[in-house]
Amino acid sequence: MRYAVDLAGRRLMVETGTDGRFLVDDEVVTIAARPLGKDHWSIACQGRSHEVAILGRDPLRVWVDGVEVRAAVTDERALAAAGRDASASGSQHEIRAPMPGLLKAVHVAVGDTVERGDAIATLEAMKMENELRSPERARVAKLAVAAGTKVEGGALLAVLVSAD
Amino acid sequence: MRTCRELGIATVAVYSDADRGALHVRGADEAYAIGPAAPSQSYLDAERLIAVAKRTGCDAVHPGYGFLAESADFAQAVSDAGLTFVGPPAAVQRALGEKTSARRLAAAAGVPVAEGTMEPLTDEAAIRAVAERIGYPVMLKPAAGGGGKGMRIVRSDGELAGAYRGATGEGRTAFGSTELLVERLIERARHVEMQLFADGHGRVVWLGERDCSVQRRHQKLIEETPGPSVDERLRGLLGDAAVRIARASNYRNAGTAEFLVGPDGSFVFLEMNTRLQVEHPVTELVTGLDLVALQFSVAAGEPLPFEQEDVTRRGAAIELRVTAEDPHAGFLPTGGTVSLLREPSGPGVRVDSSLYPGMAVPTEYDPLLAKIAVWGPDRDAALRRARRAVRETLIGGVTTTLPFHAHVLSEEEFSAGRYDTGYVEGHWPAAIGAELDGSAAAAAAYGLVLGRTSGTTRVRPAPDSAWARAAREGALR
Repeated sequence: MRYAVDLAGRRLMVETGTDGRFLVDDEVVTIAARPLGKDHWSIACQGRSHEVAILGRDPLRVWVDGVEVRAAVTDERALAAAGRDASASGSQHEIRAPMPGLLKAVHVAVGDTVERGDAIATLEAMKMENELRSPERARVAKLAVAAGTKVEGGALLAVLVSAD
Repeated sequence: MRTCRELGIATVAVYSDADRGALHVRGADEAYAIGPAAPSQSYLDAERLIAVAKRTGCDAVHPGYGFLAESADFAQAVSDAGLTFVGPPAAVQRALGEKTSARRLAAAAGVPVAEGTMEPLTDEAAIRAVAERIGYPVMLKPAAGGGGKGMRIVRSDGELAGAYRGATGEGRTAFGSTELLVERLIERARHVEMQLFADGHGRVVWLGERDCSVQRRHQKLIEETPGPSVDERLRGLLGDAAVRIARASNYRNAGTAEFLVGPDGSFVFLEMNTRLQVEHPVTELVTGLDLVALQFSVAAGEPLPFEQEDVTRRGAAIELRVTAEDPHAGFLPTGGTVSLLREPSGPGVRVDSSLYPGMAVPTEYDPLLAKIAVWGPDRDAALRRARRAVRETLIGGVTTTLPFHAHVLSEEEFSAGRYDTGYVEGHWPAAIGAELDGSAAAAAAYGLVLGRTSGTTRVRPAPDSAWARAAREGALR
């Protein structure tokens, strides 16, 4: 199977062969992993010793020798699909509660145009008020939750449509 | 609890439903449930806490450094119940807890305070009038507050209404009060605080400063001692100011006087923390003292066993607060379950942690998970040790501030000790992300592929941002 692995600002094309070979950018790499636990390995690569762990999957975070980086793994099929997605729905943003909390205030109305960085809503969680901001200049297409409502983590709060 | 174990003091822990598995429960000799996860029905319920203390035959109550630690009413209730409160007595808490009262007291003791209100205000118009008198930018703070909650910088008249709403709202939720304080904002200042101890027998000593300027939302992320900008002279002045405030308030037990130090070395008093602080380990590391043990002995009425001249400070110490927050998403609090855990150890490393494998991070409380404190013979050695400790630390399943710490510890300005309270804003997110060499990148890629193919795991194209992630989750539902 062939994958594109994006991490730390670079993309590696890797391939695992049925014969146990591992190819990075079409070159065979001598590599061996010893599992240390779930999602945790000691990996010997070309004579060097590395410790690797997957810290989380959403977003995908990988830890290598004390360095934590975000990563993406895409197989060839998904790569093709992602290409189609991007062209179909690049302009819509859903604003969701990053964690459970109380929606203290909604600062916009449907139809408003907001600038990048404008506060959309205030979510109170862990005794702190967090402003949820617009990622870009956009129009408010939908408000899903009214101020004063308790929301679950991941709850949809608003939908913005790119204004540019 | 570790200190108590060493001193032979038996301990009773209390826990909410969310904390049944917590480490403080396991560290105690006895443990009692006090109610649901919501703090108002458990950790903030003074009556229930005192009932447990009475029923179990406790002599003393240590309030820790959260919840009721700075509540005068709680301190009073504890002593009314015939128990010893391990902290400053209620009268001291009352005099120093309300910020304008503390400002009046400090000013009367000859300690400089920032220009602003000396009485609490609740009315937006009155606040506007003060802001106009002293001139923008100003800082709005809940007068009853602490821990940076509800604080707002106001740069112009137009920002005042929104800041007023936010500060009163957070003040009401966190402290049950909408009283505010206005003071002139000192820009490019460092947050430097002075640890003090008073024994109630007339002896007041200062133990040294901590620079806590690395903050987000006015809450500390990194603390160190000695402060890189503090020389012997300034240290003496801050120590003297802290002692004067302590004497003026008949202080007893551990406390911290917080100051802002301007780029020119001038300073103003901010507030007094009438409790042990989260960052006390750095002071313990350089002084060799156990502040919690001292708290117990002072609370028991014993005199401090040393004088000012006996206090020595050796080397440098740095504390990193590992919190359940996403440094790549504006430090928004996160949740999750700890799936992997390795805490750092080795020479000069101290870890005060609440983490255990399988722990579900409670979303009801402060996001602090662990404190990594390191000591070195000098600041450079402490920095190298801190980098090494962060490299050893492995926390899976919860998004934490560790990548932030890794970046700051190797960032040039911080490494040189050149930073102020604007540091986080100016240096994070990092312009250049973490880098991996070819071999490390290949190993990571191999791990990712193994993780993808092992059983039920599921790896999808990763997001570029929280927004993209949210959108993708939505699409999958």
